[in-house]
Amino acid sequence: MNDTYILSVTTFVYFFAAFFYLSSLFFHKRFVERVALIFVCSGCALHTVAIGIRWIISYHLGIGHAPLSNFYESLVFFSWAIIFVFLLMIRRYKQPTIGMFASFFAFLLLAYASLSGQVAHEIQPLIPALQSNWLISHVISSFLAYACFTISFGASVVTLTRLIGRISTDTDFWEDVTYRMISMGFVLLTLGIITGAAWADRAWGRYWGWDPKETWSLITWLIYGTFLHARLIGKWRGLRMSLISILGFLAVMFTYLGVNYILSGMHSYL
Amino acid sequence: MKKKLLIIYRCFGSVQFTIFLFITLALASILGTIVPQDLSPDKYTSLYNPDIYSLLQYFHIFDLYHSWWFTILLICLSVNILICTCIQIRRISRLYMFKQEKIDYSIPVSSGNNKQFFSNKGVFELEEKLRVFLKSLMGCDAYCIKKNDGIYLFAERGRWSRFGMVFVHFSILFILCGGLIAAIWGFIGHMNLVEGQQSNRVILNGEKDSLLLDFDVRCDDFTVDFYDNGLPKEYQSNLSIVERGKPILSVPVRVNHPLKYRGLKFCQASYGISRESYAMIDVRNNRTGEETTLKMGIMEKTPLPGSESFLAIGTFNADYQGHGPSVPGVLIEKGTPHRIFRISHEGVVEGSETGDFSFRLMDFKKQYYTGLRITYNPGSPLIWIGFILVFCGFIINFFSVHKRIWVMISPLNEGSEIKIAVSASKQKEAFEEKLAILLGRMDRGNEP
Repeated sequence: MNDTYILSVTTFVYFFAAFFYLSSLFFHKRFVERVALIFVCSGCALHTVAIGIRWIISYHLGIGHAPLSNFYESLVFFSWAIIFVFLLMIRRYKQPTIGMFASFFAFLLLAYASLSGQVAHEIQPLIPALQSNWLISHVISSFLAYACFTISFGASVVTLTRLIGRISTDTDFWEDVTYRMISMGFVLLTLGIITGAAWADRAWGRYWGWDPKETWSLITWLIYGTFLHARLIGKWRGLRMSLISILGFLAVMFTYLGVNYILSGMHSYL
Repeated sequence: MKKKLLIIYRCFGSVQFTIFLFITLALASILGTIVPQDLSPDKYTSLYNPDIYSLLQYFHIFDLYHSWWFTILLICLSVNILICTCIQIRRISRLYMFKQEKIDYSIPVSSGNNKQFFSNKGVFELEEKLRVFLKSLMGCDAYCIKKNDGIYLFAERGRWSRFGMVFVHFSILFILCGGLIAAIWGFIGHMNLVEGQQSNRVILNGEKDSLLLDFDVRCDDFTVDFYDNGLPKEYQSNLSIVERGKPILSVPVRVNHPLKYRGLKFCQASYGISRESYAMIDVRNNRTGEETTLKMGIMEKTPLPGSESFLAIGTFNADYQGHGPSVPGVLIEKGTPHRIFRISHEGVVEGSETGDFSFRLMDFKKQYYTGLRITYNPGSPLIWIGFILVFCGFIINFFSVHKRIWVMISPLNEGSEIKIAVSASKQKEAFEEKLAILLGRMDRGNEP
């Protein structure tokens, strides 16, 4: 079984999950939500299997390494991380809107990875700079952080539409989701930056060199740091918090993609 | 005077200042990624018009992250963290440091989750029951005090979890300190060594001068492996440390596997084909019939015998399109455009006419140089302490919750009144849920 084939199937599974979550918002049927959850779970199972198969195949090719080393693999793992974080939190927040956001983002990322044709699917051997034990911890913590920020972004979009569209002023639940996801993501991002710095010290002889990727991860960290301090100590709430959260997510996207496409630096692999 | 100091202290220790610094640092960092850093002046003059150039120059934007004002921002951040954390520690120790006689038993009014019950039982009977109840809820014994208006119980768990965030904030101070020390006393430099060569000269990054080590580094040999797709798989320099003419240490250095010696770190950074590589090329002047063998370096103009022409060669290629080993060659003649071709063992295999000459590649000696990055970072231990503190802080904060519960039993004319208040540093809902379940169980088991 080919891993890229399973992943393109998974793309559609996530699409249907997002679709059913969306319909459950309109029909308010517990049943539709249940169906959506089944789609998400089976998508996640397929996704995990595909990543596992890809890992095994790389060993058969004689270039064995964790599938976390190029753009395609990073998109696939990002998408997996979003679903993983969503499944962790679903016990606490039974809200179809979060499910819709999570499966939709997972679908977008996988669709771009599988169907765009611009992203090379091949398993590539590791260049010397990536041959390190830090790879797995650095990539996993960074992408789990990105996944938390993605879900917090979804929640703050809900807050923002409610407040701006004057649909409702009761946004406590959504602000709580945003806050919890951001605090989780902030911890993971900090670990991602620290493991990255420790790795950079081994590979390049310095912890921090103001490389664009490093700088933008710091900018992201500062924005979410502002969010946490403003909420916990400044007791800010509502519109400006959701704006900070959205700004933070834009910084995440720029750190992930923009830096590599627009700026040039040492972190040429994504 | 004292008042002024207090105002400054309050200002530096405020969260508004933290947020201001965060935003300023973020904006400055963005600017630093928009304006390319550390280019040569003529590159900047071609990028910006003179007015903007001098403006950017004035504010040190071209080396923004090391400018005085960015450093001041970082120092302000350190001061801010230091003051905030000290205030925090004082608050924690005042409120939470344990002294039995200092326990505040009175039920906090501010917490919105106060509960009130009435029971027809006596105060002392209830005290026994509530002690057992608190033990099952908190997993520890409750403190008790009897006052005129009733019996007070207090229990708490995980007081130290409040120190998690203190650790995290202190870690940033350690890391910034380490960075400052590295910036002042450390250095980052590089050294290129051709196989067999030894040197003690480190060229410092961003500065013109170089630094002499009091020992030599020798590159014994350099190897590089490639994948089938042409990307390098692994490259490795075998380095020797030579002290006073004697080699005392011999280590392989690979990417991600640096050598540490006397506090210095030697990282494998790059490699290339050295200028000391040379080719032996047979040259025949077809006009005069003269034949010579030239020893030629890469990219060096070499005069051809019996003429005013020159030949230069490029980098060696082990197998060029099935022709075997070859080098690109350029023939430079007066009055004609440069002619470019490829020289192999068979002669000229591709490209333009070679005029009066014929060339043949006899031998090629390919020599690599290894690019080493040499760094000295005396702040490293502090940075690692910082890393470990962050990790510990997160673990403490993640796995422990500071929970407190206050109970007051006061006698009424008939039976008694029970007041309960709880506080938890996080997972409040879960704690309150557990409280409600246990209370319900106690109700069913005991109340008639």
